[in-house]
Amino acid sequence: MTKRAVLIIVASLFLLLTCKKKTTQQSSLNAQNQIVPRVVRLYFESPSLLLTAEQRNVQLPQNPAGAMPVVIRELTKGATNPALARSLPADTVVRGAYLLPDGSAFVDLGGVTLTQGWQAGSHEELMAVYSIVQTVTANFPEAKKVRILVNGTPPETLAGHIALDRSLTPMTELVDPRTR
Amino acid sequence: MKRFVLLAIAVILAATSIGLAQQSQQATLRTPNGDKPLATIHQNLLTFFSATDVITALGGTITPDANGFKVSLNNVVAAFGPDSRFAVVRDDLIEMPLPPVVVDGKPFVSPQFFAGFLPRAADMEVSWDASARVLTVRQAQHNITGAQVSVANVQGTTKVVITLTAPIDYSIAKDAQAYTIHFKTPIRAPYTDQAHDDPNVSHTTFSGNDLKIQLTAPDVVGDPYRLENPFRVVIDLRKAAAAPAQGTLPLPPSKPVEAPGIHTIVIDPGHGGKDVGALGPAGTQEKDATLTLCRKLAASLSAKTGARVVLTREDDSVVSLDQRTAIANQYKADLFLSVHMNAAVVKGARGSETYFLSLEASDELAKKAAETENASAKTATPNAASSDLKLILWDLAQQTYLNESSKFATDVQEEMNAIAGIQNRGVKQAPFKVLVGATMPAALVEVAFISNPDEEAKLKDDAFLATVVDALTKAVVRYKTDYETRIGVIQPPAPTPAKPAATTTTAATTTTK
Repeated sequence: MTKRAVLIIVASLFLLLTCKKKTTQQSSLNAQNQIVPRVVRLYFESPSLLLTAEQRNVQLPQNPAGAMPVVIRELTKGATNPALARSLPADTVVRGAYLLPDGSAFVDLGGVTLTQGWQAGSHEELMAVYSIVQTVTANFPEAKKVRILVNGTPPETLAGHIALDRSLTPMTELVDPRTR
Repeated sequence: MKRFVLLAIAVILAATSIGLAQQSQQATLRTPNGDKPLATIHQNLLTFFSATDVITALGGTITPDANGFKVSLNNVVAAFGPDSRFAVVRDDLIEMPLPPVVVDGKPFVSPQFFAGFLPRAADMEVSWDASARVLTVRQAQHNITGAQVSVANVQGTTKVVITLTAPIDYSIAKDAQAYTIHFKTPIRAPYTDQAHDDPNVSHTTFSGNDLKIQLTAPDVVGDPYRLENPFRVVIDLRKAAAAPAQGTLPLPPSKPVEAPGIHTIVIDPGHGGKDVGALGPAGTQEKDATLTLCRKLAASLSAKTGARVVLTREDDSVVSLDQRTAIANQYKADLFLSVHMNAAVVKGARGSETYFLSLEASDELAKKAAETENASAKTATPNAASSDLKLILWDLAQQTYLNESSKFATDVQEEMNAIAGIQNRGVKQAPFKVLVGATMPAALVEVAFISNPDEEAKLKDDAFLATVVDALTKAVVRYKTDYETRIGVIQPPAPTPAKPAATTTTAATTTTK
């Protein structure tokens, strides 16, 4: 009898501590997002050194807040068309993406290369930055400008060239006219 | 055994009470609608407040979404996530000392979030009385002058900027340990004391109407001044003898009063030190290619323009992007050219291109600067921009010179196009960080694609480098001649302006050749 009591007490103590840890760290995210298939336009670099859209069917949450990180993650996977080049470093991760009602989108990136320093030329960096800007604004008409963060913090640049301490709008001259 | 059971129960009770103490401490939320209980947690020596309690008490909503939480009050929306110290509101970021903590699905945030959000959403301000455990949210008291402090260090000089919501009288006193600014009417302090990881300033402390700026050493000296619109008190602090002696940017040699024209040219070899830039397939590093070329270019420009030529780096050293433009500004340069080698993932990319800055004229200051630039462009005198505009923001410095930068970039690209075998990729605009703060016409040339094996090999060929140096020199001479002709300070251009004795200066050393 006493053994059982001790066991119950120890089990209670374990449960209490476990529950506390879980509730402290758990974020209650909206589970009501309905997932629907949608055709998205992802921008990669073409042999003409311009951003070109590749269309892809993606299962997306209906609300833009949930959909935006999914779309950017698709972008980081690279193109299925072998003629198109991935513009971001292969190990880039998407930590999150936010869209505010005033049209400001925030894309938070991470990954070893962007964290430790990306050795890239201006053109590569332009393609990387504006592939994100173009992909966000093309798929989310509510998004008028895009701000890029790395590890939750606004970086000076991704690779020493393009200023990221400000919001960016699309540069149409970097985009293939056929896929603008 | 009974004793053991009792002991175990006591342990559970203790664990429970400790757990509650860690998770939740009650405080009071005082709003214009009255007092309400406010859940807080204490973690990592900081107090976090229930965002739900505060925002709902003010009539707003807070909802979870895929990334974290969305806060809405009076149609102003902010968003934050559990992994980031930054909340986003409109086009801006609110910095918090630590990311929000989520307990039972509810977010707890540091008071900095409310201090950043509530003025935007409800013209309200917030203060936390830690001893009484009362968080007070009230309408902004506009009759009391609000104050914000920023501390930033650039090249060894710390700029302390106190931004006030209205102009007020003040006096500044200095002793060995601190500068004290006494404001003669009440101010609303954003905090009581804040530590700074800065070489010249250790703390900023508000006490009554005084702001004390604690110095790290007695030899820190300051240069106070004030700016208008918005009203700001600024103190530039630096070690008394540090600038030339410690390898930071030396004070430029005093510049004699000169007639308008192009007298000082800053050439910026891209990258350097651990920032190697792009890599060629044969291993050539962009930082080395730019330095080699720029050394030759500096010598050529000195010989053929008679101008003083300054390199932002003359060796394999790290120079930050802001420092490069700061060097140009400090030398009061008349022209700035940043030299880079390009790279692309796409094989076969080749050619040269020249950039000047693009900025979004998204706010009133930018528009004003752009208008002023357009006005000054009519008289071809970029230096005629109002002195107020030159002071407004580092961010807008280059706006005033965009027309001239465009002309200079065009000259550079046209001369590069004249090199046999170079593919013309044109003159373009992009938000290059190194151009943002330049207070003179500025361009960035991408000489060739180091990622292309053929062009990488050319960058190691002295004959090719000589043609590039010649092209860039011609571009500078062409722009200089054109500009000085337009402003009427020179006679019709001589075909080969020559001044054999010229000076080449680096940011670190000065030599006469």
